Amino acid sequence: MNSYPTQLDCAAVKLFRYCCRRLFGVKPFIIYTLLLTTALLSVNARAVPAFARQTGQNCLACHAGGQFPELTPYGRLFKLTGYTIGKRSIPLAVMGVFGASTVKGAPTTGAGHTANDGTLTFDTGSLFVAGKITDKSGLFAQITYDNYAGDTSASGHVFSDNTDFRYADRIIDTSQDLIYGFDLNNNPGVQDVWNSTPAWGYNVVPISTGFGSAVGPLINGTLASQVAGTGAYLYWDKTVYAEISGYRTGDGVYSFMTQGNGQQIYIKGENPYLRLALTHEWGAQNVMIGYSYFDVEQYTDPTRTLTNHYRDNTVDFQYQYLLDPHTFTAEITRTNETVNYGDAGALPDTVNSLLAKASYTYEAKYGAALSYFNISNSSNNMVGGTLNPMLASASEMAGQAGTEGWTPEIFWLPIQNVRVGLQYTMFDRVNGVASGLGTGTYNGKASGDNAVVFYVWGAFGN
Amino acid sequence: MKRIIISLSVLGVVLVAAGCNTTESSRNLADPMVPGKVLAQQVCSNCHGIDGNSINPTFPKLAGQQAEYIVSELKEFKSHDRSDPAGYQYMWGISRSLTDKQITELAEYFSSQKNRPDKSDNAKLLAEGEDIFKHGIPGGQTPACATCHGKDGAGGGNGVFPRIAGQHADYIAKQLWVFKNTNQRPDGTLMKVITNGIPKSITPEQIKAVSLYLSTI
Repeated sequence: MNSYPTQLDCAAVKLFRYCCRRLFGVKPFIIYTLLLTTALLSVNARAVPAFARQTGQNCLACHAGGQFPELTPYGRLFKLTGYTIGKRSIPLAVMGVFGASTVKGAPTTGAGHTANDGTLTFDTGSLFVAGKITDKSGLFAQITYDNYAGDTSASGHVFSDNTDFRYADRIIDTSQDLIYGFDLNNNPGVQDVWNSTPAWGYNVVPISTGFGSAVGPLINGTLASQVAGTGAYLYWDKTVYAEISGYRTGDGVYSFMTQGNGQQIYIKGENPYLRLALTHEWGAQNVMIGYSYFDVEQYTDPTRTLTNHYRDNTVDFQYQYLLDPHTFTAEITRTNETVNYGDAGALPDTVNSLLAKASYTYEAKYGAALSYFNISNSSNNMVGGTLNPMLASASEMAGQAGTEGWTPEIFWLPIQNVRVGLQYTMFDRVNGVASGLGTGTYNGKASGDNAVVFYVWGAFGN
Repeated sequence: MKRIIISLSVLGVVLVAAGCNTTESSRNLADPMVPGKVLAQQVCSNCHGIDGNSINPTFPKLAGQQAEYIVSELKEFKSHDRSDPAGYQYMWGISRSLTDKQITELAEYFSSQKNRPDKSDNAKLLAEGEDIFKHGIPGGQTPACATCHGKDGAGGGNGVFPRIAGQHADYIAKQLWVFKNTNQRPDGTLMKVITNGIPKSITPEQIKAVSLYLSTI
C-alpha cells in the first residue's frame, strides 16, 4: 500500500486540524476523544444490541461495512421478514450519542450551553425495544431521550422515536420467492429497507448539521413521530418491491407512537404513501432504483378547517459494493413537492430537494463519506416582501430560496457498535444567499453557517 | 381508503395471532421442530442463495458441496472451533442452536443442489490456475489440488475434502490466506501445511490464479 502522502492526505490532515481548532483546541479534543473511546471500549465488546443478540451475528452482517443503520441485502431481508430471523431473546438495547458542534460564524448565544458553542454534550439516548415477537412478527421501537432540547435550556424530554411493527411471511423454494407483510409505523419511510429515504439516509448521524435551517419537503421528517401508518408490502423474487400505506394523525389509540412529539400535527383522514423499488444484485454489488409518492392534507391550524395539500414525488437510487475489506455505498434522493393551499386565491408552490451521499469503509473500521444537499422552493405567495402564514409552506415561511452545500466526514468504528466521527458541513448557499445578506452569514458569506460536528455514537445491549 | 386501512389492520392482527407458532415457514433458529430444509430456505438462502449458489462472494456457494463437509463446518461454527472472521461474524450465531438433525437436513438440502460456476475471460490467469490445480506449483512442493479434491474439484473422502469447483474465487483466496497465515481453522491443518509448511509455499499471485480457475469449473 502506498505510504507516501498524497494531496488528498494533506487536505484531510488540514481539514482535521482545522476541525480540531474550531472545536476545542487540539489538546482538549484529543483528551475528550481518548476518554470517551476508552470508556466505550471498556464496555464488553460483545455486548451488542438486540437484533445482534437475536441472530448471534456481528453488526456488519446487517449493516453495510458496519456503519449502522445502513442495511446490507441480508439486513434488508431481515427487516422485510419481520425481524423474525434468529431466536427470541431479551429485546432491549440502548444507544447514546455524545457530540460537540461549532460554526464558523458567530455561535448562538444564550444562558449556559448552546447547540453550537463547541461543548461536548450528551446529546441523545435511546432505548430500543426490538426483536422477534412470534415466528412471523416483530418490532423495532425506539424511545429517545433528547438531552439537549434547545438553546434556551438543556431540559431534555422523552419521546416516541422511530417505531415499526411488522407481520411478514415468505413463500420461497427454488421456483418462487415472495415476501409479503403488513406494517405499522410512525414515520413515513421508516419502514423502508433502503437508505435513500429520509428516515434512514441523509443526515442519519443524530447530531449532524444536515442542511442547516433549510426546510425540505414534508417527506423529510416533518411527520416523524406525528402520524400512524398502516400498510402492506410485497417483495417478489428479490427484484420488485411494492408497498401501499395510509397515514393518519397519530392520536387516539395510536398516540403511544407519538408521545412527546412537542406539538401534534394534524392531517386529514387517511393519506396514501406508495412505494415501488426495483433491485438487482450481482457479484459483490447491488443496486436499487425506486419511486415513492406521498399525498398529505395537513391542517393549517388547530381549528382544523383548512388544509394545505402536499404531494411529494421522490425518485431514489442506491448502490452498494460489499466485499471485505471494502464497502462502498452511494445514495441519491430527489424529491419534488407540490403544495396547494387551502386558502382561495393562493398560488401553488413547489419544494425541491436533492440529497446525495457516498461512503467508503475499510475493514468495517475506518470510513469516510461525502454528502451533498440542495434544497429550494418557489415563493409564489410573496407579496411586497411579506408572506401570509396561511398561504405559505413551511419552507416558504423560512424565507429560503435555496440552500446548498457539502459535508465531508471521516469516522472510525473501534468496535462494531461504536462509531466516532467528524463532519464538516460547507454551505455554498443559505436561504438563497451565497454572499451578502442572509441568515448566519459570516463576513457576507454563506460559509458563516459552516459547521464542525464531532460525535461518539454507540449502541449497547447485554 | 379508511376501510382499506381498517381491513388491513384487522387482517394484520389476525395474521400475527395465527403466526405465533409455525414450523412451515419459520425463521426461528431455536426451534428444534423446524425442519432443516425450511431453515435452509427461510434463513440460509438469504446469503447462500435458495439453490446454494450465493451471489456475493463473501458467502461461499454450498450447492453441490459434500454433505459431510457442510455438517462438519456447521459443527465447527457451533463449537467456535472455526474462528476465521467470516465464520464468527456470520455463522457462530446462526449455528448456535441448530440440532444435529437440522444440521444433517441442511447439509442434504444444499449438497443436492446443482453448482453453477462463475465465469472469467482471463485466459492467462486461468491457464496458470489450471496448471496449479492439476500439477501443483511448478518446481515447488505444493501438490496438485486435484490430488485430494478430485480431478473435477468436487471433493470426496466422505467430506474430508470439500468441493472447491465452482466456488467463488474471492472466497477460496481468503480461505487459503486463512490456512496459510492463521490457526483459525483447525479443520484445515493439512491445508496449512500445504500452503505454508514447506519451503516453497504458494504465493499470493498463485492463490489468485488457482482461485479464479476453480471458480470457473
